[in-house]
Amino acid sequence: MEKIKAFFDKNLFEYGRTETPGELIFYKIFELFIIGYVIHLSFYWGQYVERISDVVLPLGLAIYIDVSFMFGTTLPIWNAAIITGLVTLGYFRIAPAYTYSIAMLLFHWQHVVRFSQGEIPHSANLIGMTLLAFAVAHVCFKERMIIRRFSMGFIFFFTGLGYTSAGISKLIGTGWNWADGKHLWMWMSEKSVDILSRTGEFDFNWLQNLAFEYYWIATIILLVGWVTEILGFTMWFKKARIYIFTATIAMHFGITLTMNIRFDAFVYQLILIGYPWYKGINYLLKEKAGNNLLTKFSERFG
Amino acid sequence: MFDIINTKSVKVILITFLVYGGLVAAHEGEFWPLSIYPMFSQGANPWTRAMVKDVRQLDDETIWQVSYFRNTPGTQVAMQDHGIDQIDFSNFVSKTTHWDEQRVQGLRTMMGPELLASKDLMIYKVNGIIHDDGSIDIEAVPFILLTENESVKNPNLPQSAFFRD
Repeated sequence: MEKIKAFFDKNLFEYGRTETPGELIFYKIFELFIIGYVIHLSFYWGQYVERISDVVLPLGLAIYIDVSFMFGTTLPIWNAAIITGLVTLGYFRIAPAYTYSIAMLLFHWQHVVRFSQGEIPHSANLIGMTLLAFAVAHVCFKERMIIRRFSMGFIFFFTGLGYTSAGISKLIGTGWNWADGKHLWMWMSEKSVDILSRTGEFDFNWLQNLAFEYYWIATIILLVGWVTEILGFTMWFKKARIYIFTATIAMHFGITLTMNIRFDAFVYQLILIGYPWYKGINYLLKEKAGNNLLTKFSERFG
Repeated sequence: MFDIINTKSVKVILITFLVYGGLVAAHEGEFWPLSIYPMFSQGANPWTRAMVKDVRQLDDETIWQVSYFRNTPGTQVAMQDHGIDQIDFSNFVSKTTHWDEQRVQGLRTMMGPELLASKDLMIYKVNGIIHDDGSIDIEAVPFILLTENESVKNPNLPQSAFFRD
């Protein structure tokens, strides 16, 4: 247990290291990014529910509670409004510690109401996990610096775990031959139907044509992506973080190019947390020492 | 002080991890935002997607023909132009097993009254399969025709195509 604790402290929490103003400012910018996305998604999902009439595949709490009473009503919009209020109060630290927890519960509800349609999308999972990190941190800890450090450690831990889990799922689902280039051909073909139906037109791009033409290129594309996923757990190691985040971001661009699947929220968040932006902020602060509104704001509401 | 906090933090992470594992294990790998991320885990599986074409003014013999998805008759209807989520639509069509009156009505609601008033919508199921030699067949099967006033299931398909167990 002592070794685990030492590992977590050194790589994920770093409670002993003094927090710099740059870190504090970065955290508030990051938190703003997350709650901004939570608000956007809550309303975006809420508006779509008007068109839904049936539950095809219940997810999460929708397995236990019939969510169809939300369909065709303004209830999802009201839910989005309540989520907005809660995360705003949470952001400015003017509400009880469990505010983010209630927001998380309602955000989960909004998701399962919107997505009990047969598909299980993962594009907003990282945003959801981060809101969960805020919720857990604010309930479990009181001191603000601890809340911030714990939240970031929680995010690194479960983001890394998620990617490695994705890699292992492929091993279990298919086996060692998962990276067979023919599988990529099937997925690219499948996605071509979706894009044609969505936009009314579709042509394969240069990389897709290359992958169709050369089996070995298709195989390498899958293999590189798979290895990157498996190595997701290295996000737990502070020294490896910058490299694995870069590889993961590149993998997402690869997925977009080959399978036309965009994970915008994922990529933006990976770019935000994968690199030590706070060092740049610290540098800028030195240039404008002693008179910085952003620092004062972050200290007040951090 | 930090040692106590660190111990507590590790415990919270581990408890969350156990809850995470328990929830996804009990819910087929998904309890949003918790997931084992199983997407694309099964290679070479046959797939089914869906698309829509406007077949107004085409004769009956033409519209019910099975063909390569790029060669289907009529005009492609772009889902995004009508505010319809392609993934939802595709899953609604491919994963519904009992096409009773309520489900057909659900599909009509998804298309919306404006689209139904202006076009005759042929809902296609598009099936993809890969052969041992690596060649891929993509076949579009006309499934349900939605017009302003009626919904017609493909008369050439067996009843089991609309009511599967």
